Amino acid sequence: MKILVVEDDELTAQVLVAILNTQNYAVEVATDGQTGLNLVETFDYDLVLTDLILPKLDGISLCRQIRSRGLQMPILLLTGQDNGHDKAIGLDAGADDYVVKPFNVEELIARVRALLRRGGIASQPILEWGDLQLDPGSCEVTYASQPLLLTPKEYALLELFLRNHRRVFSCGMILEHLWAYEETPGEDAVRTHIKGLRQKLKAVGAPTNLIETVYGIGYRLKLQAQAKLKEQPKLEKQETRLASIAEPTLALVDHVWHQFKERVSQQVEVLEQAVKAPEQQDGELVQRAKQEAHTLAGSLGIFGLPAGSQLARQIEQVLQAERPLAEVEVIDLQNWVIALRTVVEAKSQTNEATMPDDRPLLLIVEADRAIADQIARAATTWGIRSQVATHLKQARTQICLDPANVVVLDPDIAAFPTDSFNLLADLSKQVPPVPVVVYSEHDQLADRLEFAHLGGRAFLPKSASAIQVLEAVNQVLQQVEQTKARVLVVDDDPALLAGLRSLLEPWGLSVTTLADPQHFWQTLEDCSPDLLILDVEMPHLSGIDLCQIVRNDFHWSSLPILFLTVHSDPNIVNQVFAAGADDFVSKPIVGPELVTRIINRLERIQLLRNLAETDPLTKLANRQKSTQDLENLLNLAKRQNHSLCLAILDLDRFKLINDRCGHATGDEVLRQVGHLLHQFFRTEDVVARWGGEEFVIGLYDTHQQAGVQRLSHLLELFRHKAFAGLPAQPIGAPPCLTFSAGVSQFPANGTDLHTLYQAADRALYRAKSAGRDRVFCAEIAQSVVVSSSNY
Amino acid sequence: MRRGIVTSSRPTKRILVVDNEQYIQEVTKICLEFMTDWEVLTVGSGQECLSMAEIEQPDAILLDVMMPDMDGPTTFKELRVNPATASIPVILLTAKVQSSDRHRYTQMGLTAAIAKPFHPLELAGQIAAALGWPLPEQLR
Repeated sequence: MKILVVEDDELTAQVLVAILNTQNYAVEVATDGQTGLNLVETFDYDLVLTDLILPKLDGISLCRQIRSRGLQMPILLLTGQDNGHDKAIGLDAGADDYVVKPFNVEELIARVRALLRRGGIASQPILEWGDLQLDPGSCEVTYASQPLLLTPKEYALLELFLRNHRRVFSCGMILEHLWAYEETPGEDAVRTHIKGLRQKLKAVGAPTNLIETVYGIGYRLKLQAQAKLKEQPKLEKQETRLASIAEPTLALVDHVWHQFKERVSQQVEVLEQAVKAPEQQDGELVQRAKQEAHTLAGSLGIFGLPAGSQLARQIEQVLQAERPLAEVEVIDLQNWVIALRTVVEAKSQTNEATMPDDRPLLLIVEADRAIADQIARAATTWGIRSQVATHLKQARTQICLDPANVVVLDPDIAAFPTDSFNLLADLSKQVPPVPVVVYSEHDQLADRLEFAHLGGRAFLPKSASAIQVLEAVNQVLQQVEQTKARVLVVDDDPALLAGLRSLLEPWGLSVTTLADPQHFWQTLEDCSPDLLILDVEMPHLSGIDLCQIVRNDFHWSSLPILFLTVHSDPNIVNQVFAAGADDFVSKPIVGPELVTRIINRLERIQLLRNLAETDPLTKLANRQKSTQDLENLLNLAKRQNHSLCLAILDLDRFKLINDRCGHATGDEVLRQVGHLLHQFFRTEDVVARWGGEEFVIGLYDTHQQAGVQRLSHLLELFRHKAFAGLPAQPIGAPPCLTFSAGVSQFPANGTDLHTLYQAADRALYRAKSAGRDRVFCAEIAQSVVVSSSNY
Repeated sequence: MRRGIVTSSRPTKRILVVDNEQYIQEVTKICLEFMTDWEVLTVGSGQECLSMAEIEQPDAILLDVMMPDMDGPTTFKELRVNPATASIPVILLTAKVQSSDRHRYTQMGLTAAIAKPFHPLELAGQIAAALGWPLPEQLR
């Protein structure tokens, strides 16, 4: 494949050549548009990559000229900044795609590859995935011969997954693919479309998770036992096995980078020193520079930076010339080192893929920097990020830029109290409202009342310690958690369902709607709502019937139920409450009233539930709550004939940490472990702390081997993780924190929770006695199966 | 042994990785241990490699070419001189593999040379292929 790069900036051109060379493309460079056109007319290129702004002939004119000569090779535009206007003109002029500068190397390579592939597509075969078929010719989609009516975006989304069935797409990547030429919406739009698509698939009987969420990465097609692409079944299986191991491996490779990025930075620094004035340098520095360039050339590619390796290699080659360097060579060297620094820094600034910072954000609005810093430090130990604003204007700016989850406000920060009150009132009007903890010297009853009226969620006297402030903040945050609650609405009126959804979702509620009460039970178990909203009158089954059924079931007897009804007839109201409803709202729905009632209801039960269901330290479910969740999951597994893994995880030698570093540090470590577990497992998994340093995990639709593998990956992450509070371990020393785990499986090890727990516990015990820091399988029947060897 | 899962048997193969750069040791170890059921030992110099190889008797040695003090080829010659290590297969890991080099390496008695930077997901397969070992199950 031969590619022509038209780019006047020498450095950019060199980087492009280096990148494209790593992909084994032959690359030629033209430094102005006219030369580019001449080359295109004379030679055959498979692709033209051109900058927009060029001397002699600009990129857009170049596109037009190429197309006006009837040449059909793909053209990829490099555009500066994100200028929609330029892109549109470029595409109209005949370009096929564009990449925005500064470009991402992977993206550039992917786009080049996609364009090159496009040249070769002759016919469009029907895309298949198990029972799912998509015909790109007629744009028809069917599942097991049943037609699916999809919106254009849902169709495009499904086609994207089917065409790249092994790939995981992040929301960002999906946005890139589906909204490439328009204004791109937020990532929520992607989630909404995924949700819509999943519901339509489910409606025709496709497995619930045909489009699977890959935790922390994105979405992909789930490989079903029967869902193999027909033309290449064997390859499919192999690729999937590799894919399952590839993600954690690459995540750990990334982790090594972040551990050693300082070292790499020092290596680049040696090069920076050496190329400043190579003629005046002492031989020793040049010698070291050669060595470092060599190491970098051999290593950067491993970390996904082939362009970095290429640059380092060029630098090494020039440094090795045993002769005085020409002036141009020195300039080349200096440019390459600058490019190398850019490549390395860009990688170091990205967060680790496995560890996004999703800790809640606290904004401290406090004029006294010393007090603010105390609170900020306390926040860190509570697993909360914080920002400080020392005047109101700053506070408002920060709220716009990075909305805080909770605010601590000293109203005396403003010269006029009304200014502080305005901020307080504005925060409580946000959707969803930002809770505010007020912290003031004026703690008369009248003051407190005023703050409460304006939406203050907690009040503390100024004499409170930083720890007391954080306790209040934490309590408020737990109350806010309810806004992530799930609501199931059953009503036969689709317009009402759609209306409720748009009314409730902005409040952070996750809304599932059901129009046909006959599917009620299954939807209830799938969605496991925190609140149920029922219509009184529906065909087949009335809301009152449903309510009674729910109340009669042990697992759901405490689920709050709210009725919607056109009747305010006392008789009906009586029946509703007699059936076990908690509240009712008359139709037509008045938005604010309904929202207020729902939020109130959720808040009240959540407050009680949080005390009763959440472990305050790790924020994970406690034993009681998770037992119920596990029972629900187990029922689902029985009904759908799926497997379920139960794992018990126990931190190794945790008492030593408490003894040596103090219980405060021990708690801090537990908090981090809770956070890590929460991030590591899927949302549908049950993750709980059952006491002390014992954690219980339920993995739905997971076989024992996969469960063991998942826990082993977690163990590998533990070994490499630096836990705040624990002394850093030098490389090679034993990891500072590990765990032992036992894994049992439904139905092989038992069909009830108690038996499964006992089986997992015995495996855990064996793991401990075998020397800790390992994961063991429960024994199945009399045969002694000790985990798998395929890993 | 640092495997996450305890298997009923010992790891199938043991590999000694020799590189003076610590992060390359780490990343190589991760790539191999995650993709296979091999055990990876690491050392940071040619001198350490000689004693470690004699004591541990690994199934193969992965040797960096450019190291301060004692470079890869020198280390290799020393390994061959000692009867206790003479028969351990050695793979050279090098930033420069040209066909002329490849020829020279084979002449020296090296089993293979693998280019750096390697791809993290492919290294294990390259090593298995060079040594004629069965492919790790994940890659089969």
